[in-house]
Amino acid sequence: MAISPAGLRPEPGSFRDPANRVFHDGDDVLRGLDAQAAEHWRALAGSEFFTSLLAAGKVCGTEAVEPARLAGATRWTTVLRHERIPFVSHPYEWSFTMLRDAALLHLEILRAALPAGFTTKDGSAYNLQWRGSEPVFIDVGSFEPVRDGEPWAGYRQFCQTMLYPLLLGAHLGVDFQPWLRARVDGIEADALKPLFRGLRRLSAGVPTHLHLHAAMQNRNAAATTTDVRAQLRAAGYSRELALATVRGIEKLVRRLDRPPAASHWADYQRTCGYSEQDRAGKERFVATALTGGPRPRLVLDLGANDGRYARLAARHADQVVAVEQDPAVVDTLYRALRAEGQRRILPLVMDLADPSPGGGWRGVERASFADRAAADVVLALAVVHHLAIGRNVPLAEVVAWLTDLCAPGARIVVEFVHPEDPMAQRLLANKPEGTFPDYRRAEFERLLAARCHIAGREELPSGTRTLYTAVVGG
Amino acid sequence: MSHLAYLDAGSGSLIVQAVVGGVAGVAVAAKLYWRRLVDRFRRQPTDQR
Repeated sequence: MAISPAGLRPEPGSFRDPANRVFHDGDDVLRGLDAQAAEHWRALAGSEFFTSLLAAGKVCGTEAVEPARLAGATRWTTVLRHERIPFVSHPYEWSFTMLRDAALLHLEILRAALPAGFTTKDGSAYNLQWRGSEPVFIDVGSFEPVRDGEPWAGYRQFCQTMLYPLLLGAHLGVDFQPWLRARVDGIEADALKPLFRGLRRLSAGVPTHLHLHAAMQNRNAAATTTDVRAQLRAAGYSRELALATVRGIEKLVRRLDRPPAASHWADYQRTCGYSEQDRAGKERFVATALTGGPRPRLVLDLGANDGRYARLAARHADQVVAVEQDPAVVDTLYRALRAEGQRRILPLVMDLADPSPGGGWRGVERASFADRAAADVVLALAVVHHLAIGRNVPLAEVVAWLTDLCAPGARIVVEFVHPEDPMAQRLLANKPEGTFPDYRRAEFERLLAARCHIAGREELPSGTRTLYTAVVGG
Repeated sequence: MSHLAYLDAGSGSLIVQAVVGGVAGVAVAAKLYWRRLVDRFRRQPTDQR
């Protein structure tokens, strides 16, 4: 990433719309607008629908600041400052219901914008982010005055990044995350069609938004959008019709559901063999670690499961990112957090042994998890043995990885499950005997001490698990 | 007003939105196709000359 002399850093994910661009200036998020975008912004800022979306927190907080903030770049005539999103996440890290709620917010915003004479230039899932379990629309540069007689330009993008992934989940029970992770522009209709043959062709939304859409795309491939816009206008396409279309999509998305199925991990907390004393001791230890230093801005809970420790952390931190690999478990957690109105915990789907890589243009348009993680506290509870034994990651690598996720001076709260523990035994039983000679408490402690200052240590009453608080660089 | 959208909305994606917009939308799409058809027949004699 190029850093300009002024310390301004252009956001690598914000280049597709040449009319505006996002920059980072320390903790501030700035957006430069060109002359036309500035004109659109002035109209937007004066409109009632936008003011009420802002007040409701549905669009990220935005205010105009001194244009001198982006001095040197003459292109930007107006500069906006946005509310900082606590942790940027990508749609392939969201669960089914998260993507659905994000899609519904996008449609709600469009439905509010259209009668006021505005539309959004695009319809991407990347227009949305989270404050805890609350979705928020971040792409203020996407609003522009609507031209009468024109359908939504963002519809195809909406299908590819939100509707099609939801169809995969709701109708086929297929996890969409790997599809979105592999394609920055989402799933194309032609790529999805083969999965909806036979009776599945008739599933809600599929005949029109998928099959007819694909056929129309192929049949009109030679027609330019300028010609088609003119033809639609001449045929009487109206703003009311555009609104009816958005309402129709909204109704469809509301119907798409995927109740989380019972899974191995969903029962983990109940079956993982903790005694009550162990659990109480662990909670005490974690709470002490969280409060034993400056208040953390960002806590990463790795292997969050039902979110027990993420909730505990949320009482002492600004934002907790709860990472869990099972999409069904994350979806259950998200539904619970949303019902509680929890705005401090963001649940994410991710396999810790295969975290999100950098994606899109040059591999930096969508930042990798490692690039986004600079935690003040990392919770790695009952997770080291899954990586070291379950996934064969060398113990030294696991420790190095934990410290890499930390901001300077951060604390790591890590649980080491001894090889004698029933859960470790269960994992070891699937591997050839003697595969992990280094998987010992003394070795783990040595590796941890080589990189951190061990500030706390406690063996749980069961005698087969030890907790550590380690200060990075201490 | 010159319109430089940053995103290719997709010609087919624009038309299909009329169809999913209900009865009135289907009528718009039908009208669009009807006009295209009529235009084709009108142009044909001149094209062949």
